Amino acid sequence: MERLAERRIAVCVGPGGVGKTTVAAAVGLARAQAGARVLVCTIDPARRLANALGLQSLGNVETRVPDHAFREAGLQPGGQLFAMMLDVKRTWDDLVARHAPDRARRERIYRNRLYQQLSSALAGSQEFMAMEKLYELTTERDYDLVVLDTPPTAHALDFLDAPERILDFLGNDTARALLSPALHAGRAGLKLFQLGGAYAAKTLARFTGADVLKDLADFLAGFQGMYEGFERRAAAVRSLLSTPGVGFVLVASASPLAVDEALGFHERLHAESMPVAGAVANRITPSLWPEGESAPGEEALRAALGAGGDLAARLARTLAEHQLQARADAVQVARLFEAVGGAGVAIPRLRADVHDLRGLSQLAERL
Amino acid sequence: MAPPSLLDRRLVLVTGKGGVGKSSVAAALALLAARSGRRVLVCEVNAQERVAPLLGAPPAGPAIREAAPGLFTVNVTPDEAMREYGLQVLKFRTIYEAVFENRVVRYFLRVVPSLAELVMLGKILNEVRSQESGRPRWDLVVVDAPSTGHAVQLLRTPAALLDTVPPGPLRRDAQWMQEMLVDPAVTALALVTLPEEMPVNEAIDLDQQVRDLLGIPRGALLVNAVPEPRFDAGEQELLRAQQDDPPPLGPAAQAAVLQAQRAEQAARQVARARAAIDLPVTVLPLLASPAWDRSAVEALSEALGAGGAPWAR
Repeated sequence: MERLAERRIAVCVGPGGVGKTTVAAAVGLARAQAGARVLVCTIDPARRLANALGLQSLGNVETRVPDHAFREAGLQPGGQLFAMMLDVKRTWDDLVARHAPDRARRERIYRNRLYQQLSSALAGSQEFMAMEKLYELTTERDYDLVVLDTPPTAHALDFLDAPERILDFLGNDTARALLSPALHAGRAGLKLFQLGGAYAAKTLARFTGADVLKDLADFLAGFQGMYEGFERRAAAVRSLLSTPGVGFVLVASASPLAVDEALGFHERLHAESMPVAGAVANRITPSLWPEGESAPGEEALRAALGAGGDLAARLARTLAEHQLQARADAVQVARLFEAVGGAGVAIPRLRADVHDLRGLSQLAERL
Repeated sequence: MAPPSLLDRRLVLVTGKGGVGKSSVAAALALLAARSGRRVLVCEVNAQERVAPLLGAPPAGPAIREAAPGLFTVNVTPDEAMREYGLQVLKFRTIYEAVFENRVVRYFLRVVPSLAELVMLGKILNEVRSQESGRPRWDLVVVDAPSTGHAVQLLRTPAALLDTVPPGPLRRDAQWMQEMLVDPAVTALALVTLPEEMPVNEAIDLDQQVRDLLGIPRGALLVNAVPEPRFDAGEQELLRAQQDDPPPLGPAAQAAVLQAQRAEQAARQVARARAAIDLPVTVLPLLASPAWDRSAVEALSEALGAGGAPWAR
């Protein structure tokens, strides 16, 4: 990944379950060992990354990986490696505190039931906060490289669309106008006909119950006047992501579905002029037999083994199946790498899961 | 009385971590049921459609379509489900269109927690209870549910509404939906996982959430893509020593050692899942062909049929 060497921000994107978090950590470790001051920001709540880095746990604050953890793994610390786990709710709270005009307003938002569910319930919320945190970490701190591990998305494009969706949610004037009468009615006294008199609102209330709409009205009112601040911030994040200091890293496995998703991402990043540094194809089956030659049959293996029984038959079948998988993987890897102009790294399926700093550094060497 | 075999339930919810093969398992299960003479509907939930293409048929989209004899598929989307639900509640299309086909409503559909989930789940459960000439329209409805976190959110919607919504049409709907979901004569949840560390962890967590949070009857744990133990300990030792031999033995030994390692790792994870999850476990083989197509679904379906207890026809 030489194309990452000069970047200040690396964003790992791709489908879930392909080892994105581990790749993000390895990217960070590689640069730290080369002497840089690096932060890896993950959203994966699994303890494994923390443990792999020799930390008890990861939280919303940056924690330095201790030098002794490097030494115990037989590695030179080189630069400095920090890690943190994004806490979506806390990041929202910080953002609200930053933009709220006063304490009363801030508390009003914090108390709103809809706001309390926001981090989990609203699609795009995690992604929006990941971007927000990235902005803060790159503009207010002093890292040579920040590696962001993005949330596993149901749809690959959620990550890029998140700010727009959230802003539309917060700043939807029509919804605000429609709901404002709900605010002035007491909770118990709220009648459906008070909901702006609009038939649409009344009908909606039949679906959702009036309380839900009242919470929403209260929520939108709380954010009134703060929207512009949010919007400016989101625009700043967006332009940050288009600068040459940023490199998106597409991470996929060799599964056709995973590659499809990664390619979907690539297409979109390209359309938005966001810089792609390269692709990582993880857990690839390595080829063990020359391309184009048919794998040895049972007879050849029986002769080489010099033994009877059905071992030769099982060996022949195993190698043939292995090669079948290796060829299928190679086709998928080629699809992925073609999209990024050949800037790809294939990582063979490791013998065991990466679960310590040593394993991570073996992965880092391959990058 | 023991609850009926999974194929004799009316609703089977298939879920698990992303990438474990939920859609293939759902398709295989539906094929098994259809082959035994049942009329089956597979619902995908606002997804890139996989089930019909896996069976070699074109995607159904939001309208029910036959993908194989006796096997129908549909992709349930929030917009279409909302339209159907709205029509049911409001009766008149013109009123519906005035109210629902506008930006504001799209906005609400997206931001009001669980509204989209409610209408999609409502559409699915409506299919389960729908009748045609005096008998159920479907013998079995299979849901290719979203992956873990999203599935819990979807399946929890009725219970969550019952906690918060005052009496009214919405509450009545949540009520019958919840009753159906927790009825062991009707519903079973099938958990799919892979014999790997993270997917098994997630299956264990999900299983706990299903028990503690959802209360939906759990039917089976399926471990997908499990490599068979192919070399015994003595053979493995022999082969490890031959990995650096010249071809053909060296490469064959390497492939065998890798296979043995994967099989051993898989067996460890299957054992871990068995110990942590008190459900009948069906082990599905790692298929020799890496392509996901009709033949793969046929092979899985056969393995399910041979899997015994929970899938008895």
